[in-house]
Amino acid sequence: MSFLTLASLTKAYGSFVAVDGISLAIERGEFVSFLGPSGCGKTTTLQMIAGLTPPTAGTVVLGGRDITQDAPNKRGLGVVFQSYALFPHMTVAENVSFGLEMRKIARAERDRQVADTLSLVRLSEMADRYPRQLSGGQRQRVAVARALVIKPPVLLLDEPLSNLDAKLREEMQFELRRIQQSVGTTTIMVTHDQAEALSISDRVVVMEKGRITQVDAPYRLYEQPATPFISDFVGKMTRLHGIRRAGGVEVAGRLLPAGGDAGEGGAVDLLLRPEKIEFAAAGQGMVDGRVVSRFFFGSYWLFAIETAAGLATVSLPNQDEDVPREGENVALRWAPASARVVSPEGAEP
Amino acid sequence: MSVTARSSPWLLAGPGTVLFTAFVILPLALTLVISFQHFEPNAATGSGFTFTNFVSILTDEYFLGIFWRTLKLSLLTTLACALIGVPEAYILSRMRDPWRSVFLLVIIGPLLVSVVVRAFGWSILLGSSGLVVQLGEMLGLGFGRLLYTETAIVIALVHVMLPFMVIPVWTALQRLDPSVEAASLTLGASALTTLRRVVLPQVSLGMLSGSLLVFGLSTSAFAIPGLLGGRRLKMVATLVYDQFLQELNWPLGAALAITLLVFNLAIMLAFNRFVEARARKVLG
Ligand SMILES: Nc1ncnc2c1ncn2[C@@H]1O[C@H](COP(=O)(O)OP(=O)(O)OP(=O)(O)O)[C@@H](O)[C@H]1O
Ligand SMILES: [Mg+2]
Repeated sequence: MSFLTLASLTKAYGSFVAVDGISLAIERGEFVSFLGPSGCGKTTTLQMIAGLTPPTAGTVVLGGRDITQDAPNKRGLGVVFQSYALFPHMTVAENVSFGLEMRKIARAERDRQVADTLSLVRLSEMADRYPRQLSGGQRQRVAVARALVIKPPVLLLDEPLSNLDAKLREEMQFELRRIQQSVGTTTIMVTHDQAEALSISDRVVVMEKGRITQVDAPYRLYEQPATPFISDFVGKMTRLHGIRRAGGVEVAGRLLPAGGDAGEGGAVDLLLRPEKIEFAAAGQGMVDGRVVSRFFFGSYWLFAIETAAGLATVSLPNQDEDVPREGENVALRWAPASARVVSPEGAEP
Repeated sequence: MSVTARSSPWLLAGPGTVLFTAFVILPLALTLVISFQHFEPNAATGSGFTFTNFVSILTDEYFLGIFWRTLKLSLLTTLACALIGVPEAYILSRMRDPWRSVFLLVIIGPLLVSVVVRAFGWSILLGSSGLVVQLGEMLGLGFGRLLYTETAIVIALVHVMLPFMVIPVWTALQRLDPSVEAASLTLGASALTTLRRVVLPQVSLGMLSGSLLVFGLSTSAFAIPGLLGGRRLKMVATLVYDQFLQELNWPLGAALAITLLVFNLAIMLAFNRFVEARARKVLG
C-alpha cells in the first residue's frame, strides 16, 4: 500500500469534467510533479487532495485511511498556494506560528519550532517583517515555512515558483529540493514548466485535459515520451514525417537511419532531440541543410536547420565561438539508436 | 510648457471649486460669523461680537444633556450597525450570484426611499397601536411605549445607516484573496477562528470607514429624531432647527451647529488616528 493513493478521482463542474478519473500511488518521501498545460486540472486535483474542493467521485487515501470526506482543517496537510496566501496582517513569525497555535502548542515550544523552520528557509532575520515588506522569493519561502512547520505528512505546492523571475526561480528550485530532502516530506508540486518538473522531481505526472497521460522519472519522460503531445511539451524535439523502411525512415525521398525493428511501409514520425544531432563535414552527414537561425544560451547554442527532410533543431554545447553562422551549409549526423520512430502525430500512440 | 497646459489644472478644478465655495465654504463661514453675534429678538441676524452663545452652550445643563444624548445614541447606532452590518456583509460576500445581487439590492434599496418616509414608517410601526407594540403584547413581552423613546430613535437610525456600514465592509471583503482563508483552514483553523483571526482583521479598515460614516451621519441626523423623538427627546440637529426656526435665535443656532461640527470632527479624527494608524501599519 502506498503512502498516498488517489483512486479514480474525478471532478465535474456541471457537464464539464475538469479532472477525469485520476489514479495515482505516491510513496512516502517522494517528490512528485504534476505537469500539464493551463486548464488541464492540476490545481483542481491538488485542491481535492487538500480537501478544498470536494471530488465528484473517487477517493483519497492517506497512510491507509480514507480522507476523502475529511474537512481541510482535519487533514493536516501543508499547502503552498500559487498566490502564497500569506496573512497580510501578521508578521512572518506570526504567519509561521499560526498552524502551531491551532494545534495548541505551548508558547515556548512554538517559538522554538518557528525559529527552526525560519532558519531552514533562511529567513531568520525577517521574522518581524510583514509580508508586504518581503520580496517575491522571500514570501514564497515564508509560505513554505508556514506549511512545513506543522510537520505535514504531505506538502502540496501549487505553482510555487511561477511568479518569480528566471534567476530566482532556479535558486528556489534548488532550495525547495534541498528543504524537501532535509525534511523528507512527501511533496506534490503542480507546475506548467517542464524544465522545473524535470529538474526537481523524482517522478513527473503529465496531465492533459483532466487525464494522466504518463507517469515516469524525469529521464525516462524525456527520453521516452508516451505521446506526441508529451514529446513536444517536454523539451525540444525535431519531428520528421516519413515512411518506415528497413534501417530507418524514408523522408522526402532519402533514408534517414533510425533504430528499432522495421515494420516496413507505414507512415511514421522520426523524433530527434536537439542534443542528439551533431554537425558533420559536408557530404559526411545523413542529411544536408542550411542554418536558418542560431541562438546563444550561454551553456549551449541552438540552431534551426532547414533540410530537404524538414526543419531540424540542433543544439551544440558551448565550447568555442567557431560555430556555423546563419546561411552556412551544414551536414547533420546522429547515432541511429538515438532516433525514435513513433506513430505519426495525430494518430493514437 | 504652454500657458494652457499650466492653467488647465486650475480650469479643470474650477467648476468644482466654485460649487464647493458657494455651497459649503460660504454658508459655513456665514454660520461661523453669526455664531459670534449677539441675539437681537427683532432681527433675523444679530450683531456685534460675543462668546456668550458658546458659553451658554457649554454651561447650560439642557444643552449639555442633548449633546450627551446625541453622542450616546450615535455611538449605540454605530455599535449596532457594526454588529449587524459586518456579519451581513460577510454572508453577502459568501452568496452565489443571483442571490448576492438580490440581497445587495435589498440592502441598498432603502437608500432610494426618503428618510422622512422611512421615519414615518417607523413611527407607524412603533406607535402604541403599531405592529411592533401589538406583537410584543401578544407575545406577553410588553415593550411598553416605544415611540418617542431613545430606543425608537436608535432602531430607526440603525435601519437607515446600515447600508453605510455594509457597503464599505463588503468592498473590503471583495478585495480579500479567497486562498488566504483556504490557507487558514489547511493550517487547522476552524471556520470561526478563520473569521476572527484572518478575515476580520483584514476588513478592519472597511469597518473603520463604515463606522465613521454611520457615526457622522447619526450625530447630524435630523428627520429621525425629529419624528421619532417627539418634542421632548431632542438631538443636536433638531435643537439647531428649533433655534433657527422656532426661537428665531440664529446666533445660538449657529453656535450649536458649529459646536456639533467641532465635536464631530474631534471625535472622528481621534478615532481615525487611533484605528487607522494601527491598521495602516499592518496592511500597508
Ligand atoms: N469553479 C469552477 N467552475 C467551473 N469550472 C472550473 C472551476 N474551477 C476550475 N474550472 C475549470 O476546470 C479546469 C481545470 O482547472 P484548474 O484550475 O485545475 O487548471 P490548472 O491545470 O490548474 O490550470 P493552470 O495551469 O492555468 O493553473 C479549467 O478548464 C477550469 O476552467
Ligand atoms: Mg492552477
